[in-house]
Amino acid sequence: MNLLQVRDLETHFISRDIDNRVRIAHALNGITFDVEEGEILGIVGETGAGKSLTAQSVVGLLRPPARIVGGQVRFEGRDLLTMSEDDLNAIRGNDIAMVVQNPRTSLDPLSRIGDQLIRIRRAHSESSEAEARSRAVEMMTAVGIPDPELRLSAWPHELSGGMAQRVLIAMALMNEPKLLIADEPTTGLDVTVQAQILELLRDLVTRMNMGAIIITHDLGVVANFCDRMAVMFAGGIVETGTVGDVFENPAHPYTSNLVDATPERLKIGRKAVFGGAPPDLYNLPDGCHHRDRCRFAREECSTPPPLREVGLKHVARCHFAGELPETAQ
Amino acid sequence: MPSETTSMALREVTAEPEFSLWQRIIGLTRRSPTAAVGLGIILFFGMLALMAQYLMPHEPELVYAERVLHPPSSEHLFGTDGNGMDIFSRVIYGARFGFGIAIPAVVLALVIGIPVGLWTGYRGGMVDEALMRFFDGLRVFPSIILALAVVAATGQSLINVVIVLGVLDSPVFARVVRSEVLALRSSVFVESAIAAGNPTWRILFIHLLPNAIQGAMAQTAVRAAWAVRISATLAFLGIGIQAPTPEWGAMIRQGAEFMISGQWWVALFPGVALILLVLGLNMFGDGMQEILNPRSRAEK
Amino acid sequence: MTAEQTSPVLDVRGLVKHFPTGKRDQVVHAVNGVNFSIRPGETLGMVGESGSGKSTIGRTVLRLTEPTAGKIAFQGQEIAEMPMAACRPLRADMQMVFQDPWSALNPRMKVRDLIAEPLLLHTKMTRGERRDRTDELAGRVHLSTDFLTRYPSDLSGGQLQRVCIARAIATNPKLIILDEPTSSLDISVRAGILELLAEIKQQTEAAVLFISHDLGTVRLISDRIVVLYLGKIVEYADADAVFEDAAHPYTQSLMSAHLPANPKAEIRRHVLEGEVPSPIDMPSGCAFHTRCPVAIEDCRRTEPQLEAAGNNTHQAACLRILDGKNRID
Repeated sequence: MNLLQVRDLETHFISRDIDNRVRIAHALNGITFDVEEGEILGIVGETGAGKSLTAQSVVGLLRPPARIVGGQVRFEGRDLLTMSEDDLNAIRGNDIAMVVQNPRTSLDPLSRIGDQLIRIRRAHSESSEAEARSRAVEMMTAVGIPDPELRLSAWPHELSGGMAQRVLIAMALMNEPKLLIADEPTTGLDVTVQAQILELLRDLVTRMNMGAIIITHDLGVVANFCDRMAVMFAGGIVETGTVGDVFENPAHPYTSNLVDATPERLKIGRKAVFGGAPPDLYNLPDGCHHRDRCRFAREECSTPPPLREVGLKHVARCHFAGELPETAQ
Repeated sequence: MPSETTSMALREVTAEPEFSLWQRIIGLTRRSPTAAVGLGIILFFGMLALMAQYLMPHEPELVYAERVLHPPSSEHLFGTDGNGMDIFSRVIYGARFGFGIAIPAVVLALVIGIPVGLWTGYRGGMVDEALMRFFDGLRVFPSIILALAVVAATGQSLINVVIVLGVLDSPVFARVVRSEVLALRSSVFVESAIAAGNPTWRILFIHLLPNAIQGAMAQTAVRAAWAVRISATLAFLGIGIQAPTPEWGAMIRQGAEFMISGQWWVALFPGVALILLVLGLNMFGDGMQEILNPRSRAEK
Repeated sequence: MTAEQTSPVLDVRGLVKHFPTGKRDQVVHAVNGVNFSIRPGETLGMVGESGSGKSTIGRTVLRLTEPTAGKIAFQGQEIAEMPMAACRPLRADMQMVFQDPWSALNPRMKVRDLIAEPLLLHTKMTRGERRDRTDELAGRVHLSTDFLTRYPSDLSGGQLQRVCIARAIATNPKLIILDEPTSSLDISVRAGILELLAEIKQQTEAAVLFISHDLGTVRLISDRIVVLYLGKIVEYADADAVFEDAAHPYTQSLMSAHLPANPKAEIRRHVLEGEVPSPIDMPSGCAFHTRCPVAIEDCRRTEPQLEAAGNNTHQAACLRILDGKNRID
């Protein structure tokens, strides 16, 4: 059974403009994906595509004016969206843990690392102070923090960026989560530290048989550390598949452009036909949202594209998925 | 915990269309009636000042020797004062002094304060320290006493009152501009301007000034209110403008003597006018600060 | 070095930059004795992690910060100790593009005035001539002239970076410093900017210093690459040689931490232990010895100098090259 099932998730930003008229931004429109145990799903996309919002919608951490207006989020078969706040709190930080970008701002600056780890353990289980402490040491060892006993009494400001990110991962692991959601876990870290953190995450997922979601804008992270990937564009997932399939045979024109624009594939002088502003979320075009940027756009594209299967568990939301002419070489 | 990412996401999708300043003012006065009322009052007095000669039923300094201290009547709506002058006309004419002192004083304060704030904020160092301490000194000293002393020493003319108020108020603007410049001077666009080869004067006036002036502009109405108040106080104390000039402060001073003997109207009407104008300026000033300060706008 | 006829546009010798920390007797050793030169038409890539001093070098070369010691010869003229006022006319010939295009442009100036500013400052062009030149520059950076009458807030990140580039090439400078010009841009936009930079590189004879932490893009644009670690050059070689035949152990691990956007890439990952040491407390001897897997006792004491490694244009600063034990696999 799938650990996490997200179906047709829709999130809107509902605000009022200067003349008090209601304005609606269709920030997520119909997100569908699964996460299984022991796999890492990479969600990639550019700024404003809705990656972080997807994570926040899944774990119910949205704040007004963002609001979920439709869809389902099932975790082990239970719908998180209709659950009471208390039940949700029992799952969040326990069965589902989150690691966010900006490790420094996510730690409480006024308490010691150890106290924060112990607190999160005891918030969700009956364990004693001593038990929680030994668990904290265990987890700090697991994330590769040297001298864990000593570091328990460190303050957040004493940690480097990479160390703080490790502490956050340790914190996320305190309650043996079944699902780990990491939102840009290595953005802003140096490449050598990034490699350390991602190796660690991957290793932990395998060892603990967790499911994980890594949200990133970096295709390199996905290519090297994820099993499956979902590509987001303008609040929707345009393509899902195994990392190998998607990189090898991108079925959606957006994915294909994205892959071609990476430094590894970019050929200077070939004039990448890519870019252009993403569609206005307040005023989405009918039909395919990628239409205005797509060089293959035809008449059919003014009707909403279906989800087409192009391979085993490899789907793309495009009228012509799998039938596109080879990208110009 | 997720506040930062949420607000990031928010910024990404709610890129608002740009509004002109005028549209913003209209939009915000709609939300903030205070500012609208303030603006209304200011415009009302502005109209009085501009059109005084058409609105006044009598000459403001014309003496009706036979009608000294007449109570309000249909001929003299606000009554007459101790010299037999028409208070209604004098109150109208007084608006000219209110604006005539406040506007040049604030302009002078801006002209002095902004360059000082730009320079000290950009250069920093000893000069900045010394100047800021000097300004601190000025601020702890009661401004009314300082103004009194300076006007008394330099000669009692309208011009001197304006100069003294302008100079005394310039530290307020210097400070606001300086703190903006302090935040801006290490920003990338300033560095980029230096890298492009801009001389210092261009860095200050072309690059920093337009980005640092909003805070100062938001203060102008409130500082104008201060100038109106202090100039009226000076006149009330008999410094600067003397009776029988139709200035509200001077009129209140004259009227105060008659308060005890029951001729309340002499002081009341200029007093109400003064309070209204100061109130209007302050209300509008608060509204302006709300409009121009992005932080308070975001909280709306 | 090589027997090229052309004299370098920029020649930096023994450049040192220390920043005060606020505590007495304590400084940040940002740049510690760096030598390099760039000839006309050459693009030098400068790679390093945070704290490597790469941005400081760029800014010091342009005298945006004062060097602590060392010589900076620009077109044969010594500028390190020149008074600031005397530097200003030179700025026509040395320009810079900054990392974050959103904050690098005065928000209160129109795009046209921003692009024309260097012309206004350094040429005797009339208003009309500047207008024509601005239109031409907009064309060269593929920016629609419609944007010239707009303010920066109306433009997207990619468009803003095009404005910055137009501004930087307005006066046909002899030296262009690109400080992470694509790091804050989305993938789709980045491809277009790289394309543009490559185009401009072909059109001009300017020397280009390309500073970046992104190894993939550096390789695309650069002819030669210097690798920095804690404010020192550890390796200096042709771009491909750095990727394929890195001699310094740090460069090797940096390359192995690089995540190419290709799931099939075979990477032998040498994950480095620990993190970059603080530039306040510089390690003795070779700055990399605290993390180096092949360090020996001598590395702790002796500071290695750049020496030939492989062919004569390839240089690295590692003691272990002598005994051939500099490989970390």
